[in-house]
Amino acid sequence: MSVALAPSRRDLVRAAAQRSLTRRRITGRIAQALCAVGAVASVAPLVALLYYTISRGAKVLSWGFLVNAPTPPGIPGGGISTAIVGSAEIVGLALIIAIPIALLAALFLFERSGRLAVALRFSADVLTGVPSIIIGIFAYALLVLPLHAFSDLAAAFALAVLMLPIMIRADEEAMRTIALDLWEAGIALGARRGRVARSVVLRGALPDLVTGNLLAIARAVGETAPLLFTLATPAAAMTLLIYTDGTQAFPIAQETAWGTALVLLAFVLLLSVAAKIAAWRISRRAR
Amino acid sequence: MSSDSTGVLPREGVAVSGVRAALLRKRTRFGEHAYTAFRWGGAGLFAAVVVALLLSIAGSSSQAITHSGVGFLWSGTWNPAAGEYGAGILVVGTLLTTAVAMVIVVPIGLGTAAFLSELAPGWLAGPLSTLIGLLAAVPSIVVGLWGLIVLTPIFANQVEPFLASMPLLGWLFRGEAYGPSILLASVVLAVMTLPTMVALSRTALAAVPVADREAALALGATRWQAVRKAVIPAARSGIQAAITLAVGRALGESIAVAMVIGNRPALPTSLTAPGATLGSAIVNQFAEASPGLGTSSVIALGAVLLLLTVAVNAGGQALLRSGGGHRVGTAGALR
Amino acid sequence: MSGDPFARAEPLTLMAEPRAEGEPEMATREGVPARLADGGRRGTVAAANTAASALTHGRPSSATPPAVTLEGVRVSFGDHVAVRNVTLAIPARQVTALIGPSGCGKTTLLRAVNRLHDHTAGHVDGSIKLGDIDVYGPDTRPELIRRRIGMVFQRPNPFPAMSVFENVVSGLRFNGVHGRALLRDAAESALRHAALWDTVKDRLHQPAVRLSGGQQQRLCIARALAVEPDVLLMDEPCSALDPIATAKIEDLITRLAADVTIVLVTHNMFQAARVSDQAAVFLLGEDRVGELVESGATDELFNEPKNPRTRDYVAGRVG
Repeated sequence: MSVALAPSRRDLVRAAAQRSLTRRRITGRIAQALCAVGAVASVAPLVALLYYTISRGAKVLSWGFLVNAPTPPGIPGGGISTAIVGSAEIVGLALIIAIPIALLAALFLFERSGRLAVALRFSADVLTGVPSIIIGIFAYALLVLPLHAFSDLAAAFALAVLMLPIMIRADEEAMRTIALDLWEAGIALGARRGRVARSVVLRGALPDLVTGNLLAIARAVGETAPLLFTLATPAAAMTLLIYTDGTQAFPIAQETAWGTALVLLAFVLLLSVAAKIAAWRISRRAR
Repeated sequence: MSSDSTGVLPREGVAVSGVRAALLRKRTRFGEHAYTAFRWGGAGLFAAVVVALLLSIAGSSSQAITHSGVGFLWSGTWNPAAGEYGAGILVVGTLLTTAVAMVIVVPIGLGTAAFLSELAPGWLAGPLSTLIGLLAAVPSIVVGLWGLIVLTPIFANQVEPFLASMPLLGWLFRGEAYGPSILLASVVLAVMTLPTMVALSRTALAAVPVADREAALALGATRWQAVRKAVIPAARSGIQAAITLAVGRALGESIAVAMVIGNRPALPTSLTAPGATLGSAIVNQFAEASPGLGTSSVIALGAVLLLLTVAVNAGGQALLRSGGGHRVGTAGALR
Repeated sequence: MSGDPFARAEPLTLMAEPRAEGEPEMATREGVPARLADGGRRGTVAAANTAASALTHGRPSSATPPAVTLEGVRVSFGDHVAVRNVTLAIPARQVTALIGPSGCGKTTLLRAVNRLHDHTAGHVDGSIKLGDIDVYGPDTRPELIRRRIGMVFQRPNPFPAMSVFENVVSGLRFNGVHGRALLRDAAESALRHAALWDTVKDRLHQPAVRLSGGQQQRLCIARALAVEPDVLLMDEPCSALDPIATAKIEDLITRLAADVTIVLVTHNMFQAARVSDQAAVFLLGEDRVGELVESGATDELFNEPKNPRTRDYVAGRVG
């Protein structure tokens, strides 16, 4: 048998592989280092944000800051209690609107396939990406203009619209991952759909539902733009207060903004961490 | 449900028990109908919200469109005093800030995703992605406040003068360094879109089968060559979706941008010059708008922004769906 | 060997390391690049060679030292030992089949040979040598080892974003080989060698994933051959294929053995009997750890197994 594989090409490949190895390894090292730098750069903003918010916000944070009502400009001792209560009221009202609608719409998507479901799912995904300011304008055009009055209800409506698509998709996802087998088993046993939905789907998916909805709430609490069009005074919600006070040149106003930002950030991060822990416990139980 | 106690129904006889069963069934069927009605109701309400949103934005901006014509889209003047309204400059500002933000966020986000998914050991990748996920939870107003109070002086005194002094690229940053600028707005947008970019690209990279990596390694590729030539190309549609959705988010962000861009509706001469976007203009003009035409024109800006973001997001969703059947909701990316 | 595309002369100017004509082929085949060599021969080689002499039958290869030598190899994942105590000499340019029921460490062992466990939690003990080179030696570069020890996986895994042509030349590009004409020639000869050229020559620039499963697997073989490996590891390459595609691959394997040393993992005894010259039987030990039970010429192993456990396995009583 003669030389089977052409020796020249074999030598060439071997030589090229060896010759290029150092360059390939160095390129790899540099690229990997750049990726690591990218990762550091991705974490840096969070660290900086937390650092400034905590260090500046902690200066003004006190019991009085949380429980006192705002004072007129120039008078010390004011707090942000109205903004905290306002945010809670608006978000609570928004949840009362959004949670049931989202659950029912998600059940609809869960049990139905076909064009209608696809279209609905697609509009939910696209609506998730619609800027919150547009949703603010929508609430303004629908509720504020005709009634000639800014209101908590309009603000809550805006936040509900904002949360709806996120909740629907999260709810549906939760039902699918946890409960599809159970649902099929229930239907196969001849149980009624409504009963299966209550006793199997919702109960089985409950932890995931909680996670998804907590994240939607975290997002709604931090929204500013929709409130800009629906609330009359800045002291009626935390985010709005940060916006109006933060953009003023007075140091006292800015301090209030940082303090409020700290309260808001703590609340939102707490919600996110709670959602994360819930998700983590679910995944651990599933294992 | 116990009908025994009613006394209305006789308790013996085959035919009678059939009646009872029928009554019971009817009752259950009623519950079933109610359940169906509720489901349809929920879905219908949501659909109604979507339709109402489109109709009310269109309806409220119709006055402005009637007044300014289709030229509203590209007309460059925004002068409420003279009754001249046009979105042109704002569209340019929106596209420019988004583009610059993407120049920053795409390489950093992709590098981070590659690091988390391919290179970092598990004990590091987990906590790092959790931290970056937390960044997604930070409200935009807090990012805006940080940009306004912390970054503005740094940009005015250090970053912008340094960039202007760079060889070759300096002309992009010429002019007086104010602080509030297109560049600063882009940086703030980059911070806000980074988590989306990282989470979605990471998911796309992780969805590439191990077999693709090993095929490259088994041919003599270095680890980086395997990532660069085998994994990233295989995840292309997912990465494109990540970029598209990040673009969608950057286009629509308003409040944080309004805080740092300087709000000057003029064609930007440099990246360090102040500017304005559709979102920032809506935030700033809304309170001052005169009832009627003024308000309608501001809402029309919203309509333009809506068209822009819906087009981009629909594209992004389509890309996500085409990516090997791997379904990722936008909500999932924020987890 | 007329008609063999690999025998076509290459322009001499392309040769990076010209060598004198008439130099024995062995020198190239087993020649050791200076940076790859480990300090010196260790005692294990002698033992391995003894084992090798017991294995060399069939094709005239008694003069050929084993291409790959495994000595006391053990692969573990944390506390879990997947396979242990493997001492095996794999003769050059023959087909060696690793057979046994699933879960007894054949694939794990195969992946130890080209160091794919570097990227998993797997830990390899013992000695694996490619010719004289210690595969796990401190100065050994895994990239260079893997270039010389190619691999074909269970499921066809062409790079999905690449065309047929790009797939075939991808390994060459990884290894720093460029030049359009060179890549074209290399692609053609690799595809011819994998019996795929006539099928794909008109659609070289179409996505590789449009090929059928069997064609994809032959493409993966061509891709592995293009970087001119000495050894080709094949991990149940037909398990995802239909019978006709399987027959084609089996046919290909026997023909490739003329040029390349082939190590074939299979749980199909008939396949092993059809294509392999040598066979090694892996079974689970009493403590559920995979181990090498017996190795030798395939004919002998199937007809007169020496170990009673092999006898049971071959007779279909276990596994």
